[in-house]
Amino acid sequence: MIQIEHLKFQYKGGEHMFSFPNISLKTNEDLLILGKSGIGKTTFLHLLAGLISPSSGKVLIDEVNISALSQSRLDTFRGENIGLVFQKKHAIQSLSVFENLKARLYFSKKSFNDSKIDELLVELDLSSHKHSKINTLSEGQLQRFSIAMAVIHQPKVILADEPTSSLDDENCFNVIDLLKKQAKQNNANLLVITHDSRVKDHFKNTVEL
Amino acid sequence: MNVWKISWKNLKSKPLYTFLSVFALSLSILLLLGVQQIKSSFEYQMENNLGDIDLVIGAKGSPLQLVLASILHIDNPTGNISYDEAKKITKNPLIETTVPISYGDNYKGFRIVGTTGEFVHLYNANLESGRDVEKPYEVVIGFAVANATSLEVGDTFLSSHGLIDNDFDVHDEKFTVVGILESTEKIIDRLIISDLQSIWDVHDHEGHDHESHAATDHNEHHEKQDAHNEHAHDEHEEHNHDKHLDHEDHDNHSFINEEDENHTHGDQDHESNEHEHNDHKGDNHEKHIDNDKHEYEGHHHEEHEHAEHDEDKMITSLLVSFRNPTGLLTLPRSINEDTNMQAALPKYELDKLYNYMGIGLKTITWIAYLILLISGLTIFISLYKMVKERAFDLALMRTYGATQFQLIRMVAYEGFVVICVAFIIGLTLVKLVLPLMLKFAKVMPYESTLKQLPFKDILSIGILVFLIIAVSIGVAVYPIMKMKVSEILSDEK
Repeated sequence: MIQIEHLKFQYKGGEHMFSFPNISLKTNEDLLILGKSGIGKTTFLHLLAGLISPSSGKVLIDEVNISALSQSRLDTFRGENIGLVFQKKHAIQSLSVFENLKARLYFSKKSFNDSKIDELLVELDLSSHKHSKINTLSEGQLQRFSIAMAVIHQPKVILADEPTSSLDDENCFNVIDLLKKQAKQNNANLLVITHDSRVKDHFKNTVEL
Repeated sequence: MNVWKISWKNLKSKPLYTFLSVFALSLSILLLLGVQQIKSSFEYQMENNLGDIDLVIGAKGSPLQLVLASILHIDNPTGNISYDEAKKITKNPLIETTVPISYGDNYKGFRIVGTTGEFVHLYNANLESGRDVEKPYEVVIGFAVANATSLEVGDTFLSSHGLIDNDFDVHDEKFTVVGILESTEKIIDRLIISDLQSIWDVHDHEGHDHESHAATDHNEHHEKQDAHNEHAHDEHEEHNHDKHLDHEDHDNHSFINEEDENHTHGDQDHESNEHEHNDHKGDNHEKHIDNDKHEYEGHHHEEHEHAEHDEDKMITSLLVSFRNPTGLLTLPRSINEDTNMQAALPKYELDKLYNYMGIGLKTITWIAYLILLISGLTIFISLYKMVKERAFDLALMRTYGATQFQLIRMVAYEGFVVICVAFIIGLTLVKLVLPLMLKFAKVMPYESTLKQLPFKDILSIGILVFLIIAVSIGVAVYPIMKMKVSEILSDEK
């Protein structure tokens, strides 16, 4: 459950004040946020993830006002409840796919059986790469791996920043399907921020910035 | 999965860097510990082996050589001195004890030292088994000698001439081991101790001109003795001696040992000997050769015509300890000026030697510090580079819920793993390599006495290394504390 109220943000020394629409999402609801480059899409996503604090307004996730949390509480909250998918795929390079997922769980202070990880890898068609190093994965595999990293800890919100822009059509729709499926399985809200209009038809709720 | 494991995997993912860091750091730790160990072993050896010896009196030459030979038993002696003349010095009231030592032989490289019973007390050495030396050709052996040669009480051995082990110049006399000393960790552990008589006997038998320096000393000594006009007595003895040389070995020893006896019972021989002696005096060379199977022995006497007196009681040096430190001020000077012997202060000479050695050790220490600095820098650069290059990864880990402190730990652990591994390697190398190095380089002839490195030294070097690396790590992780996750993640496009 997400509520965004009167959210405004101004970069330090910046002149432009970004203001964002009020949004209210119930459990299991997905939202596509469309916008051109420079309109503040990433800023909006970082505000939702608590990576930056708004100049005014608030973000409520599961009725917790994350804008009011202390830095360390926010770190913990984010680790437990939010899953982020980025356009550029990064992970701990020295670890394998499996080890990265274990590390992800360690940092978000959640412990699951290894079988949970195996299941997820099967769902994302990555089980044959369980012990591969990150830099040996293909583009499509990497994107699926990013999804795995965003959902392994069963977050309440999945935030995806341009998850499809570097993918071909087939992979693009595949990724959106996987994201939606994972969100549903975890009872999480999925918010996808993109300028990629190919995915428009896959979402019921769309907001334009 | 935890922070340690991630650090460990990080290190494993860059083996070349890890190897280089560990290698450089191990090397510097090895050098630092090694120098420290050599230094402390050396100091310990110096202090320990000095015992109560305040002064060494020996033949003229290098005072350092005299000290090395007589105290540390590692160099050749400067020559021999007359025991009689050395004994005159002992009458000085400032002197508490004197211990004569005499060398010439070795068994398997271990020096045989002819001395008196006092010698053992200089090192507070006690018998582990057997008894003290009572007769010539009996020896007490040091702990290390017993270990290395497997000699036991009751065993006999043949000594080799000189101070270096050899097979071609072996004496005929058999030494019998009568006692084994307890380990003292002092030089005495590596010595074979006999009485003076044995050494004199062996060398009388061998011949005087065996060692050139000894001959020279004889010469000097004889001239001096001649000036004293003591030849009446000397003639008699020399005479006996010549005669004696024609006899069997065992007579040889009784001659010197029971000098007085010779005087008395010598009366009956006197008449006949006198005759022989006169021949000798009259340069009856041929006769002498005919009578004497030791041809060169006779020749030697011919060359030094004035050598007709007690020339056999030579010692290598006299170890002196003073009753009163003022002896140190007056006695060495009077010996050096008024006699043909020299007096060397072991403490002073060894300090001098230590200072020479100190320059080398200091240089190595500075090189070690330099390498330590470089390894600190290597570790810093590597960690800093990682923090900068993998800023996105680190920022991502923050979004996973990792705290700032966890990220700092992750980077710092990498450095600490390198320190720990390097320290263990460095310490192991010091333990394993240093004794071997010393053995092969023969820096110290008694590698078995390489002293254990005091824990205090290991600790202080450990702390130094730790501090330098800790500073490197601290500076490297600083950007993490300043990290703005949002900016780094926004920069991706």
